[in-house]
Amino acid sequence: MKPVFHILILLPLLLGAGCGDSEAASASRAWVWDLPETVPPPRVPEDNPMSEAKVELGRFLFYDTKLSGNQTQSCGSCHQQAVAFTDRLAQAEGSTGEEHPRSSMSVANAGYAASLTWANPAVVRLEDQALVPMFGTDPVELGLEGMEDELLRRLRDDERYPEMFAEAFPKALDPISLDSITKAIAAFQRALLSFDSRYDRWNEGDETALTASEQRGMALFFGGSTAAGATDALECFHCHGGFLLSQSVDHDGNEFNQQTFFNNGLYNLDEDGSYPEGNEGLFDITNDPADKGKFKPPSLRNIAVTAPYMHDGSIATLEEVVEHYARGGRLLESGDGKENPNKSSFIKGFFINEQEKADLIAFLHALTDNKLLTDPAFSDPFAE
Amino acid sequence: MKRLGTWMALSALALGCGDSSSSSQRAELAFAAMVGAEPFVCGQEYSDLGADGASLVLSDFRFYVQDIELKNDAGEWVPLKLDENEFQNGDVALLDFENKCGDLGTEEMNERVVGTVPAGQYDGLRFKMGVPFERNHANHSTEPSPLNLTQMFWNWQGGYKFLRIDSGQFSTNDWRMHLGSTGCEGDAQAGGVTSCANPNRVEVEWDTFDADTDTVVADYAALVDGANLGDDQAADVGCMAKPTDTDCGPLFQNLGLPFGDQPGGTQSFFSAE
Repeated sequence: MKPVFHILILLPLLLGAGCGDSEAASASRAWVWDLPETVPPPRVPEDNPMSEAKVELGRFLFYDTKLSGNQTQSCGSCHQQAVAFTDRLAQAEGSTGEEHPRSSMSVANAGYAASLTWANPAVVRLEDQALVPMFGTDPVELGLEGMEDELLRRLRDDERYPEMFAEAFPKALDPISLDSITKAIAAFQRALLSFDSRYDRWNEGDETALTASEQRGMALFFGGSTAAGATDALECFHCHGGFLLSQSVDHDGNEFNQQTFFNNGLYNLDEDGSYPEGNEGLFDITNDPADKGKFKPPSLRNIAVTAPYMHDGSIATLEEVVEHYARGGRLLESGDGKENPNKSSFIKGFFINEQEKADLIAFLHALTDNKLLTDPAFSDPFAE
Repeated sequence: MKRLGTWMALSALALGCGDSSSSSQRAELAFAAMVGAEPFVCGQEYSDLGADGASLVLSDFRFYVQDIELKNDAGEWVPLKLDENEFQNGDVALLDFENKCGDLGTEEMNERVVGTVPAGQYDGLRFKMGVPFERNHANHSTEPSPLNLTQMFWNWQGGYKFLRIDSGQFSTNDWRMHLGSTGCEGDAQAGGVTSCANPNRVEVEWDTFDADTDTVVADYAALVDGANLGDDQAADVGCMAKPTDTDCGPLFQNLGLPFGDQPGGTQSFFSAE
């Protein structure tokens, strides 16, 4: 083990002199972000530059069931392209059948998240986040804990991967490693861009991109007045604003930590505003009672295809989501979320008539990027 | 607990190491895992544990140590410079008392820490159970052994499990103790974790410790003293060190760590015997 470690350190030094040609070759295929002018590129870690070969390798790994202990699931099992990389379930199910307390988040535009997953300020790099579903046990997701050698063996024995890894990591002495696996999957996720909805075309100046109803819904979403005469009654964009339609955003050039977590009044089990135990959001990390029920506001891009909604999938339809916010919190037998002491001040409740509700939902449907749902570059290479 | 001599002054070893050779000596610390009066044996059942006298089949017993220092005869704390091997790297060593008796773990075991100190007389020991912050929150995927064991990854907090003691095989009757830093915050700009509200590194310090005859004993019975093992209170199985996991109170007390409103104190998990 020790000699290998030293060789790995030395090798880049030894090879340094002879690397000119391959550097030039990879530079000629430099990664180009396919983004509208309204969207900045994602932050790319210095130790994981983008390349076409790496993204393609990441696509294969993302969809490969070799990445679960019992080879029944891949990342793509819970993150399915047809539904914007979610899974239609209220709560995800791991490879061993264990139910996850949370609903699978869309991984489209995951490269822009200020923090990853629903409510964890500590996980900020896609490369690190990948280790959670792979090796986590609470709950078991991909169930690879303790199987790192077996995983590497599976990939080394594959007829396709040795060449793909070598191409994606041309300077690595031993390209098939845990590090290169997480880096390739992270690169694929950074390439999973979704900014080609009709809303984006409207922003680029195409005035035919949105219907009259969708335009009215957009105005309500971004602070317009309701028929009842209230200005900015809906308050949607305060949490779901910006190019990502989430205020929890990071990108290349961003100078600030923009992590945000809000309580939106789903539960109120006691005077502390408790949520169901073990699924209380930021509180599970900080233990600060004021953080009970605080979750990251997810991006609303592609929201129409990612039902059911909320961190635990407890709201089935967009209509019910709008009604939830109109009431200003959810009334359950266990307590009234409207009265939750930690609830965001943006969630005050509002009056919305049927036409306005239909307009708002029409706008949310206009956030769907149909290209994302079918783009062969993001599709399952193992599907027939 | 019997073992071969430890404080071997090996001038021969230092032959290739230049000037420091004449002034350093070998040092070895012995560790043992116990459950009350009985040695820990992977897969064995132990009874009369905790406040409720529970019985558990223990299947894992591993922990990391860092910042190991010995006290010289001038009363100064001197770092033990660790050898590099599969259980030791930089300032970190893994003690591993399980032998893969169940589905998890590794067959290899490690019950000692080996390294060098400046030549001299030493009569005290201090160390922390943990992984130093910088390495705890570095890229786990590129770390060498012993920081590349995925069973010790604790990625929901961006770190490692400092201590892992499991019972059973992930059934509902299990009782597991996983300890690491909690309350961590990160920053996408910084590219990782920037601070943790609860570092949860266990500090151990003994003014008198004779490495020739003494062993560092980690005692599971002392760890769970006062805990109700048969009555799992929180959503997690056993104590997963979450600040919200009410099963953890007595264990944190025995580790000398603060937990919620409960202040930290002196640890009783480790003893010198």
